[in-house]
Amino acid sequence: MNLRPPLLLLAHSMKRLRTLLFAMALLLSVFQIVLVAEARSVERSGGFQQLAALIPPFARELLGPSITAFMSFAGILCLGYFHVAVMGALVGLAIAVATVPASEVETGFMDLILARPLARHWIITRSIVVASLSIGLVLGFMLLGTWIGLRTLAPAGAVWPTVSLLRSLALNLGLLMLAWSGVALAIASTARRRSAAGAVAAVLALAAFLVDYLGRLWQPAEALAWFSPFRYFSPFDLVMGAPLPLKNVAVLLGIALAGFLAAYVLFSRRDISH
Amino acid sequence: MPASAVSIRGLTKQYGALRAVDNLNLEVAPGEILGFLGLNGAGKTTTIRILLDLLRPTRGSAFIFGHDCRRDGLAVRANVGYLPAEMGIYPDLTGLEVLSLLAGLGGRAAAPRRRRELQERFGLPDTDLRRKLREYSTGMKRKLGLIQAFQSDPLLLILDEPTEGLDPLMQEAFYALLAEARQRGAAIFMSSHVLSEVDRVCDRVALLRKGELVLLRAVEEIRRLASRRVRVHLLEDRLPPAQFPPGVELIESAPRLWTLDVEGYLGPLLECLRAVPVRDLEVVESKLEDVVMRYYREDRP
Repeated sequence: MNLRPPLLLLAHSMKRLRTLLFAMALLLSVFQIVLVAEARSVERSGGFQQLAALIPPFARELLGPSITAFMSFAGILCLGYFHVAVMGALVGLAIAVATVPASEVETGFMDLILARPLARHWIITRSIVVASLSIGLVLGFMLLGTWIGLRTLAPAGAVWPTVSLLRSLALNLGLLMLAWSGVALAIASTARRRSAAGAVAAVLALAAFLVDYLGRLWQPAEALAWFSPFRYFSPFDLVMGAPLPLKNVAVLLGIALAGFLAAYVLFSRRDISH
Repeated sequence: MPASAVSIRGLTKQYGALRAVDNLNLEVAPGEILGFLGLNGAGKTTTIRILLDLLRPTRGSAFIFGHDCRRDGLAVRANVGYLPAEMGIYPDLTGLEVLSLLAGLGGRAAAPRRRRELQERFGLPDTDLRRKLREYSTGMKRKLGLIQAFQSDPLLLILDEPTEGLDPLMQEAFYALLAEARQRGAAIFMSSHVLSEVDRVCDRVALLRKGELVLLRAVEEIRRLASRRVRVHLLEDRLPPAQFPPGVELIESAPRLWTLDVEGYLGPLLECLRAVPVRDLEVVESKLEDVVMRYYREDRP
């Protein structure tokens, strides 16, 4: 098998995405450093104890013991891995990367690629590899940002988050992104317009996020929340010291693989027309 | 090598109730240039896309050098150079990046020397190739498209509107390249709306109307079949006869000039004019365009 053409295509795709990827990676790594700086200033002023004391008992009961875990230097740092803006940016990035095939169909670039002796499955394989590399790169930069922040800004005596906690948070977040990559790629593999594929995937992600959020607050909605991929991202449990549940890994990986499989099948059968 | 470069058998592509291509049968021999004609929406691009396995036929099959375009697409496309009607290329890429990527994805190695030669012939120097495509004019994009299609000297060239946007000098360069490709045995499957161009470079013409093949003949044969305009200049005033032989139609009559349309050979007309004092006979050769336009007009709703 001649791997040169698919590798060339992969290199081309990574090259085209490099600005977006590095901008996002840099932004999120800086965000981690800023969080460390913020946590340091709260820690130095003894603010964590004051903040914890300010929480009324009913709120403490409602939010559970995890709230106290976040009222700490390490807890604030972990927020960088599940802040809604961070999650939104990362899921958005996953969708943007996975919908590239729809963009290539839309512009007609796919005609030029597939008029060459390149099997269609390479288009999907390329997208999976690009998505995985992008996720790895951005999460790697985020971890690097946390490490740089801790090494340069952490006050003496502050309790750092453990390496295994940060690794679990990053892994769980990475799997969540991979799951949305799978969903978006499956949608993009049938689409003729990237904007349409991206919009459908984004609306699905938003709906899934809201369903999960509702399920966490309102008992009757909890049954529905199990269908949301966000249900299998549990940063609060991880910060509380629980290990990364195998179920989370299995379900998110399962969603990603199902999406990728659907993308292979749908793309191999579709008509390429723009 | 198989006798046919392209072999299309009973090809049908249906979109719901619409038949974009209807039971198309067509052969293109190696070393032949086929002009693939039809109005917009006639099914030309659909057929081309089926040959490249971008679209899947509803029925029938297509073969390139004996390989099934559907089942053996990789072997098919290893020998094909394709120029789409619109080059779908990202504007932030340079011309050089496009050529390198597409050459790398191709099945036949593209020699750098060949690329340079094509660059020279189309007037696209390295300085232009290093520019982003957003700075390219329509003509430059077309030249880039032609270079990428020809750079690996493929055995079959599928060209969709190849001279769209090219200036007359570049059109000449393209025609010369076509002639060379034919000479080395390459087959050319070319869609075009420029009938004078088809008349000049193609060996045969296939004309589609609403997905159906309505004309498939050699260009020479079509010219012969077409009616010719004949002007009969007379030595003295003379009324035309009440009836001309079959295939001859009087278009206009002046005291010393009759203008006629003649379908087929001129023999019967000459026989008819034996007793007429003819000063001169002016024959205007028919063009492919005349015949094709007639088909196009019939296609109008």
